[in-house]
Amino acid sequence: MSVSPDAVLAVVAEESGLDLTALRPDVTFEQLDISSIDIASTLFAIEDKFGVIVDPDALNPASTISEFVALVIHRSAA
Amino acid sequence: MTRTVVATGFGCVSGLGIGVAETWRRAVAGEGAIRRLRRNPPAGHPARGIDGPAAWIEPGASREALAGEDLRRLGQLDLLSQHALAATAEAVDAAGLRDHPSLSSRTAIVLGCGSGGNATVDAAYERLYGRGLGKVHPQTIPSSMISAPASHMAMMLGIHGPTFVIASACASSAHALGEAMHMIRSGRVDVAIAGGAEACLNLGSWVGWKSLGVVADDTCRPFSKDRTGMVLGEGAAIVVLESEEHAFSRGAPILGELAGYGMSSDAADMTAPDQAGIEAAIHAAHADAGVALDAPALISTHGTGTRVNDPAEAAAMHAVYSDAIMRNIAIATKSAHGHLIGATAALEFIIGMKALAEGIAPPVLNHLGPDPECELPLALAATPIDLEVLVSNSFAFGGLNAVLVGRRRS
Repeated sequence: MSVSPDAVLAVVAEESGLDLTALRPDVTFEQLDISSIDIASTLFAIEDKFGVIVDPDALNPASTISEFVALVIHRSAA
Repeated sequence: MTRTVVATGFGCVSGLGIGVAETWRRAVAGEGAIRRLRRNPPAGHPARGIDGPAAWIEPGASREALAGEDLRRLGQLDLLSQHALAATAEAVDAAGLRDHPSLSSRTAIVLGCGSGGNATVDAAYERLYGRGLGKVHPQTIPSSMISAPASHMAMMLGIHGPTFVIASACASSAHALGEAMHMIRSGRVDVAIAGGAEACLNLGSWVGWKSLGVVADDTCRPFSKDRTGMVLGEGAAIVVLESEEHAFSRGAPILGELAGYGMSSDAADMTAPDQAGIEAAIHAAHADAGVALDAPALISTHGTGTRVNDPAEAAAMHAVYSDAIMRNIAIATKSAHGHLIGATAALEFIIGMKALAEGIAPPVLNHLGPDPECELPLALAATPIDLEVLVSNSFAFGGLNAVLVGRRRS
């Protein structure tokens, strides 16, 4: 299943409670105050919606939004 | 020296509406909130879904009431917490306490909840048992735990003092208000944000209540002949309590006094009421408040409308007050807002205190005529009153009884 970047961003926004406009490509989870449970919730929803499983160990607070989107899209193509 | 405890802010959300003004307007006008609720089960699920009388809050209304708050994760919270926050914001603003320095260290939160985030639990179990999925949302536990609304209230207001939830089923918020009153009396805190919240109009709770056989098929008819049971509601009700000294020192509005609190445990049965236990709680509340049993009072009954509870409450009141009972006026507002379980006592306390202040008793709705076992001086129409004292009854499953006494301030 191919996943679009916008679809991934929509999930991040919903699970973190942030506005889509805040999710600029170069900002990190840490800068956005996206907590570990926000990340867990986002990965749960990504798996639920798209069937894409992302290893949480591939992410850390310094991961950027663009890195996260690229990771999900990469995993969806795998 | 015992400190006097006053109410300085009220807030509530229920089927009657968002906010105290609309709640009060509809209660006095006799515009009950009980109507047919229909919610379908998840696709392919064998259960029949929800279909019956209830007093529900329009979906999203509590969230909309909080639009001005800086609550990033509001949309993720169970309705239980959304209702609690909406009522809290109104009460704290009404009290003029927002950002007051006392909030951070000299304030408690004591919230009564009958159960936790039921819809969150339902959604998780539906995935597991309905759809055979292996995972549930990572927020399932923090969203559904019974103490979640108290934590969210503390975060919204920056409260670092004692914060916890009291659970005693249908008496939860009476116990919360009463225990909060004692915390102020004893000097542990100067302010307490106390009340209750409940969100139980989800399939799992609905079917559980229906299975118990105490839910009406038509509507809630307290103390009426041909009554068939209680009707579920949902929502939250919050009272800001303060020591009188603290309230005076900041020129706060004084809405009335929480003057007494009595409680008892039947230690007898999980569902059947016990007249002796009810009487004990009423006696204790009068004694605590220093209000004589023959003093004329507005009595906000527990009045669930079930076949068994109403006669037990009426008999207890006759035993306690004897002939003086006819000097009182009895109201039963569950006929308007349904049974809010953990939130109901606080909502009834607010409506009762409004009734003392405004000089009008809201009508008991849906009454079909007297039941000889439940004869009380009921306000069957909106009734002008001039009373100083409110006695607000709450008697929970499991025999946990709590009675509050309020006093009018002019």
